[in-house]
Amino acid sequence: MSESEPATPFRERAGQALRDSFLQEALTIATTKFIGLRREAFDEFPEGEALRDRAREIKEATLQRLDHYLDRLIDNVERRGGHVHYATTSEEARGIVLDIARRTGARTAVKSKSMATEEIHLNDALEAAGVTPIETDLGEYIIQLAHERPSHIIAPAIHKTKGQVAELFARELKRETVADPEVLTRIAREELREKFLQADLGISGANFGVADTGTIVLVTNEGNGRMVTSLPRVHVAVMGVEKVIPSMTDLAVFLAILAKSATGQKLSVYTSLVDGPRRGGELEGPEEFHLVLLDNGRIRQIAGPLREALSCLRCGACLNVCPVYRQIGGHAYGYTYPGPIGILLTAMLNGTESVKDLAHASSLCGACLEACPVRIDIPRMLIELRKDVSERRIAPWSERVVFGALGRLLQHPALYRVAARLARLVQRPFVRGDVIRRVPLVFSDWTRTRDLPPIAARTFQERWAELERAGRR
Amino acid sequence: MTSRAEFFDRIRAEMGRTRELAPMAPSVRPARPRERLDVLRRELSERWRENLQRFQHEFERVGGVFHRVPDVREASEAVARIASERGVRRVVAWHAGALGLDVVAPLTTRGFEAVAAPDAEVAGNERERRRALAAAADLGVTGADLAVAETGSLVVVSGAGRPRSASLLPACHVAVFDREVLVESLVQAGLVLEAWHDGTAPPWRGASINVITGPSRTADIELTLTRGVHGPREVHAVFVEQGLALRRV
Repeated sequence: MSESEPATPFRERAGQALRDSFLQEALTIATTKFIGLRREAFDEFPEGEALRDRAREIKEATLQRLDHYLDRLIDNVERRGGHVHYATTSEEARGIVLDIARRTGARTAVKSKSMATEEIHLNDALEAAGVTPIETDLGEYIIQLAHERPSHIIAPAIHKTKGQVAELFARELKRETVADPEVLTRIAREELREKFLQADLGISGANFGVADTGTIVLVTNEGNGRMVTSLPRVHVAVMGVEKVIPSMTDLAVFLAILAKSATGQKLSVYTSLVDGPRRGGELEGPEEFHLVLLDNGRIRQIAGPLREALSCLRCGACLNVCPVYRQIGGHAYGYTYPGPIGILLTAMLNGTESVKDLAHASSLCGACLEACPVRIDIPRMLIELRKDVSERRIAPWSERVVFGALGRLLQHPALYRVAARLARLVQRPFVRGDVIRRVPLVFSDWTRTRDLPPIAARTFQERWAELERAGRR
Repeated sequence: MTSRAEFFDRIRAEMGRTRELAPMAPSVRPARPRERLDVLRRELSERWRENLQRFQHEFERVGGVFHRVPDVREASEAVARIASERGVRRVVAWHAGALGLDVVAPLTTRGFEAVAAPDAEVAGNERERRRALAAAADLGVTGADLAVAETGSLVVVSGAGRPRSASLLPACHVAVFDREVLVESLVQAGLVLEAWHDGTAPPWRGASINVITGPSRTADIELTLTRGVHGPREVHAVFVEQGLALRRV
């Protein structure tokens, strides 16, 4: 288990998010904008649909020979003078990075946005070891100053308004400023430019690792990825094992769909290909390059029920279209990865137990599957997870009893008819107008957020039987 | 500490437990990418006008500023004009051999402080000094090793005489290129990347390739698009009709 359980239950976290009017506004604006941008990008890119299928096939093909491609990636990274490390757990991954920091005498580390390093909670470990981590992606920088966690995979500070950011800069940086994104961005540029030039260690994630060439690929819009991989004397990239792809030809396929899905851009501003440490003749570039290959629950899913989720590109498209994410935002999920894919990744990293509530935080509408650039069947896996939660008896007893009874009723028509007739009598005191708003006891959880239509005076089955009799006459 | 062998044992054990997978294949990689690229380049040389037009359109869409000049002398003029219009004082540039033209002399005579990168290995303290120069510069002049029409992207390969910082640290980046480096699509760019990684790299090649699509940007505050957060606020592409005489990647 790598992440600790949130202090408050999911229901409370979601409720809090729903009552936060700032958050509600920010979420609506952001997700609506993302959805529109993505749609426009694919509308003018007719070959996109076929490329999405192709990208998925490449991911699946790589997974089928994962040992081969990883082996090749490692050999090529080492051939270029890089060092490769193997982390089974997040604890081990942190240890590896800390060792490198200690050995190279690093005092400060600049980081480009990386969900993998969020997932292993690297910043806390660095700080505890006396190395100051500095997030350099503007959104990450903002939430680091605010001592928060990202609320979206690609737009980590999506939940903050410009007014809140201005207040934060005034408090943390002692810089009074107007609430204007342009001005706020310039302040961040000035503050962070110095840090880039002084830092000893650069830490990044990896969007792709190209097996054929030993190249680590980073996609950013701000240019911080380039700074982090070029200015400090040591660069460490933390990469999930599933990020390996076979070749540069494959890379072109992924690049064609990644930014379109994430932000609606044809390409992100900077696609940086890192071929190991600085070479002779170069003015910049790290003297040391380290690649940390991260398992942390991924490897056991190669043959596990969440295998499909190993194809995820971390574009965030499924978050933007999810009716649940759009209402509660990322923090309410309580773990590193929010949204529909986040529930699956949380289960992958922390086990089924951690998503016993989250597995139900989906309407199963299928919007995520439709938006996913590699067509990951998220709803199918969410249903599997619910089944797993139920079979392992980690769901609340009331839920198990009610669903168990319902299961038996639905399997036996005679029993169902009797139950319907019985319910028609029992429901009477709870029907208000033409809806049931609240039912007590074990059903109260169900009706707390839902209205039910009452059972009809004559059920469909009863009417059908009558019609059939009439027809025969 | 997990060893490579232990790591792979676990991966192989899990792979052995998978069942009924429909076999899938990755992209077909060209067997001789350099030869394929030569053929492609010949084909593209007949369509460079269309590709240039599309490049300009896409480059401007992402916020780039496009210039077209007849020859290298005019290219230097264009760089000087961009510099003076922006009230720039300090300029860093790629080495003349990697750029295909000398911008330092014409800029210096106009009163700018211009420095070109050395094209061979220099000592650590000299690298420090050079980095400080780039960090203090207002404008960086680079070549472009590839220009992708489909996306309006400029690709720069680092190396001796080709510092990474010239396209990153100054607030204004000017890239000079010619028809030789134009390709139509990302797919073709994929072939170029295959070719660049095929066989042994030339000794002057660096370890960083960057595909640059417009000025540095962010939308992290209320999704308001803002330019120049860490990299350049402005990116200019100067197309030289007559072509550039230079050492190619």
